[in-house]
Amino acid sequence: MVAASRQEELLERLRQQIRRLERRPARREGFLPTGRPEVDALLPGGGFPRGALTGLAGGPASGKTRLALTALREAQAEGGLAAFVDGCGELYPPAAVDLGVDLARLLIVRPGAPARRTEAERAPEPLPGLWAAEALLASGAFAAVAIDVSLGRLPAVRAEAALRRLRAAAEKGGAAGLWLGSADAPRVPAFLRLDLDALARRAPGRAAGAAPDGWTEGGHAA
Amino acid sequence: MRPDGAPRVLSLFVPALPMQRALRGRSARGPLAVVDQGCVVHCTAPARAAGVRPGDSLVQARAACAGLAAVPLDRAGDRAALEALAEAMLALSPAVEIAPPDALHLDAGTGRGVDAEEERRLAERALALARALGWRGRVAVADGKGPSLALARYGAEALVRVAPGEATRALARLPLQALELPAAMAERLAAVGVGDAGALARLPPETLAHRFGPAGAAAARLARGEDPRPLVPFAPETFPEEAWDLEGTDVGVLSSAEPLLFAVKRLADRVAARLAGRGLGASRLRLTLVLDPRGEERLLVPLARPGADAAAWLVPLRERLGVLRLPAPVRGLKLSVVEAAEVPAEQLAAGDRPEVLRALEVVLSRLAARLGEGALFAAEPADRHRPEAAYRPAPFREDAARVGAGKEGVVASRGARRNGAANGGAAPGLDAAPLAVRPTRLLEPPHPVVAEGEGGRLTALRVDGSAHGVLALAGPERLAGEWWSDPFDRDYYRIRLRDLGDLWIFRDGRDGRLWLHGFFD
Repeated sequence: MVAASRQEELLERLRQQIRRLERRPARREGFLPTGRPEVDALLPGGGFPRGALTGLAGGPASGKTRLALTALREAQAEGGLAAFVDGCGELYPPAAVDLGVDLARLLIVRPGAPARRTEAERAPEPLPGLWAAEALLASGAFAAVAIDVSLGRLPAVRAEAALRRLRAAAEKGGAAGLWLGSADAPRVPAFLRLDLDALARRAPGRAAGAAPDGWTEGGHAA
Repeated sequence: MRPDGAPRVLSLFVPALPMQRALRGRSARGPLAVVDQGCVVHCTAPARAAGVRPGDSLVQARAACAGLAAVPLDRAGDRAALEALAEAMLALSPAVEIAPPDALHLDAGTGRGVDAEEERRLAERALALARALGWRGRVAVADGKGPSLALARYGAEALVRVAPGEATRALARLPLQALELPAAMAERLAAVGVGDAGALARLPPETLAHRFGPAGAAAARLARGEDPRPLVPFAPETFPEEAWDLEGTDVGVLSSAEPLLFAVKRLADRVAARLAGRGLGASRLRLTLVLDPRGEERLLVPLARPGADAAAWLVPLRERLGVLRLPAPVRGLKLSVVEAAEVPAEQLAAGDRPEVLRALEVVLSRLAARLGEGALFAAEPADRHRPEAAYRPAPFREDAARVGAGKEGVVASRGARRNGAANGGAAPGLDAAPLAVRPTRLLEPPHPVVAEGEGGRLTALRVDGSAHGVLALAGPERLAGEWWSDPFDRDYYRIRLRDLGDLWIFRDGRDGRLWLHGFFD
């Protein structure tokens, strides 16, 4: 009699655990294709790792945003949602459309526009973009999150701590986190870091940085 | 006998409603009385134990119980409380009638094919919902409003169900006051030995009608369990609002976020239940914190999607309360629904993942509460030639999470942009491909750049003080228009600079100056 009641109790506990687990989105694992087969071929696993942070570093026109957008497109193609934390306010959505990104399923977060606050509410944290990125990565609702947030004058220790939190959030939520940073930005505690250089792209038989088809060499058109 | 098709009515009676309302939020159970015009109307058990009785004057009552606290009867407040309860009961029944001062009638069906189990379940749910909202009630299900209310008020148990056609027998044991007869009539009946509803039902109806007029005829019908009157449905006119005055309660004033959140949860549960009863979902809430000794703090809280789930509301409320630095303790709270919309019935298609939808709702609510609604959006292409106006923010809809949603939007948006672009100035012989794509980053406002050249040929561009050699150039693509408001005339070029990469620059047709407008990052 006692054994039967214990068994029933155990079963009920297990049922509760299952219910609790079922309420959480399933954790994603593996690698997210970058959307550029030539880049996939260079990466271990053939894409950006899910549940981890990947650093994409490069100059202002190095192609890091384009690579992030194509990866977000791949995440959408798999049925997932994508987010872009646009701390700099520079993302130009028409370019995302050109790359095949479904704008309706791309959440853009621009923390620059603060919520209407009363005097009693504390000033927002110095980098609300980091907080937003952490919330998105940990939520489990997004398959990929691109983060374009300038660390500005944040002290190095705080910046490092914030980035470590981002990495932990990506691990928790299973999202592929893509950190966009300048070439000279502090190192990100990332699983993977890609340094991009736009002018190093070269087609067979063409010098680095040379004009592609449809372009005028030099600048006599202006 | 009960006529076929007579309404089955569930009556919910809230005993001593004014006292229950006075006790809501108080955990202290000291001697307390509700007083009207100097007389005690209701009193608590400790007051009763000290000798206070309803009907006593306040002076008498205080003489009997020195520590008696008194609150005045507030009929408007009691009526509002009853309306709030009726609003929540709309979740259980399509029609709810308010029976002042302390009862509600719920439509429990027409009586055809009555399911006893179903009626009992409905009664249990009504009691449970009332309890969740802080009310102790009694219910009865019977034929007609009069019999069911009499049984709810005077029935032997807190839940009474009387089978169709059995009301006469069920009412027979009730005292005459259960039928709410006019006082004079009750007195005359008592004087001739009619002491309960059963005795009244046995009297010839014609005699009662002859002796007491229409009131006598109505009493005879009611005593026999006949009441064909239909319900008069209650239709709420305003969005729900719940307040809690913490003064005089054990809770006292609050000064930190956590206990405040507990108090907010209590209000949220009540407001959500009322809203759910109307099939509505809140899309915006307002939390008002009444400060001690004066002043108040109002927080407007947007929600990711309309809903009546108190747990979902607490996520953004917690975000806002978490960053609150109150100048004074809180002595009262009020939670109001500011905006609401109909909540469509959720139908999950194959491939939908409810856990993802739930996680999305939570994170969107948190972001909107902390950063503001304008900070998160889904871009929507706009049919404008001006590049910085070629898209507009649109709400990021939760149904975007559904597999396959938004595909049509992509196709449409691409078409819109292609048609909208005024690509009228491309140089002859130049492949349009470099011009067709847009930069991934747009600088707003554009940065001025300076051209350096030799013999009419552009050789370098000075960006932020540094000169970069020009490697290649494509363009121009002329974009102009909006002459009716803020005219612009620009020749755009995609330019490749040494050490920098591809930039999007334009020459302003009005003054010939060059501007950096974006990066092909």
